[in-house]
Amino acid sequence: MTRLGPVLVLLALLAIWQLGAMALQADYLPTPIAVLPDLRAMLIDGDIWRDMAASLTRLAAGFAIGLAAGVPLGIVCGRSTAVRGCVNPLLALFYPVPKAALIPILMLWFGAGDLSKILIITLTVTLPIVYHAQQGAAAVEEKLLWSARAMGFSPAAILWRVVLPAALPELLLGVRVGIVIGLIVMISSEMIVRQNGLGYDIFNAMDMAQYTLTYAVIVIVGVLGYVLDSGFEALRRRLTFWAPQRQAMVAASS
Amino acid sequence: MIRLDHVSKSYTRAGSGDTVQALSAITADIADGAFVSIVGPSGCGKSTLLYIVGGFIPATSGAVQVDGRPIAGPGPDRGPVFQEFALFPWKTVRDNIRFGLAQQKLPQGEADRRVDEMLDLVHLRKYADLYPKELSGGMKQRVAIARTLAYRPTTLLMDEPFGALDAHTRAVLQDELLQIWERERKTVLFITHGVDEAVYLSDRILVMSGAPGAIKADIAVDLPRPRLRDQLLRTPRYQELVIEIGHMMDQSR
Repeated sequence: MTRLGPVLVLLALLAIWQLGAMALQADYLPTPIAVLPDLRAMLIDGDIWRDMAASLTRLAAGFAIGLAAGVPLGIVCGRSTAVRGCVNPLLALFYPVPKAALIPILMLWFGAGDLSKILIITLTVTLPIVYHAQQGAAAVEEKLLWSARAMGFSPAAILWRVVLPAALPELLLGVRVGIVIGLIVMISSEMIVRQNGLGYDIFNAMDMAQYTLTYAVIVIVGVLGYVLDSGFEALRRRLTFWAPQRQAMVAASS
Repeated sequence: MIRLDHVSKSYTRAGSGDTVQALSAITADIADGAFVSIVGPSGCGKSTLLYIVGGFIPATSGAVQVDGRPIAGPGPDRGPVFQEFALFPWKTVRDNIRFGLAQQKLPQGEADRRVDEMLDLVHLRKYADLYPKELSGGMKQRVAIARTLAYRPTTLLMDEPFGALDAHTRAVLQDELLQIWERERKTVLFITHGVDEAVYLSDRILVMSGAPGAIKADIAVDLPRPRLRDQLLRTPRYQELVIEIGHMMDQSR
């Protein structure tokens, strides 16, 4: 029953969409059934895959930089009050800023290409990663650290061997938040800096008044988001099977 | 030998800013190979004292010397065992025990051999590939003891190690600890608030009183070894010591 619940809700939403679209009879709201042929055509002819690959490549590149910068920074912040004192005010200032608003500035600096889009994803995902890595690192049981110190490990070795793995469950929650909000800026950046990618596809179809196509891309983006999030959640559980499970809270803010 | 020379500890209470003296001029010599317990009421600073000996927290004044040299932080000569077990939850039993050996640059075979030896010592070979969350409290503490013994400290610093266990498991682990100690003859500094536990295990008991923590009595436990629980608990001398030290604890409250 609990497994069936989400499916029923989804079917109910689709039914409401179908009935609402049938009642309205408007160009801008095609029925889900009318969207299906476009969806099918897109998935078969392959264009959408190329755009999805372009989008995901940028997401992956932005994420890679975000992880490389955010994890060490967050871990060190969690263990050093001095570093935390420097970084956290900036974090608090910067976290609530809608990152899409920074795209024009990045375009001025880095041009209207891939680099700007990658960097905006990096900026977006780094913040929750730093924040959660820090929470995780700060909460490491003191006696774990003492045990490692008594064994003779250096402070750097303890960060790597004890603090990082102990902080992993919390850190991966930050990564999950990063995936969700990274996806959001990925799409918005492609809508603003139009080149290719899924966000570009949505706006392009709309500009050409191909409304069924617009909806088809939106459905694909939705499914992609779901697949990325649940895929990562499965990975996160595998990586942290040893930890007591806690409910993952995903708060999207972008 | 571990020498505590007028070890004092005070700290500033968060909020009020008052200075609280936790330990006042603790002086004692701990002989090599001795099993010494420190008993006292909750909050008397006995765990704080152990953490200072471990080098985990600094003394406000006074000094701790090991074999004549002042300590500079924690070191593998003094191996801690905590009430909270403090196992690395992402490591199996085997890898927890092996953890400290990574620092010792042992040849691969030697490390494996030592881990196996420790698994046998604490009767956990069957459970070597389990993770800490799959273990009972008693098993976790066995792993923690094995993990510390594996890197061969000369002194064990035990901070109420059996305090979180049920009475039966505690008794079993006390006996196992005594067997290990008879074999290895390490110096043990054992913190507990259980007087019967202290008398059963120790050569010597330091009784502390609280606020500020100070050593109130230094009692030699003149009971024969090896100690067999059923015999010992019936011995009048054992009972006398438990009652006598219990009275001291009551008065220091």
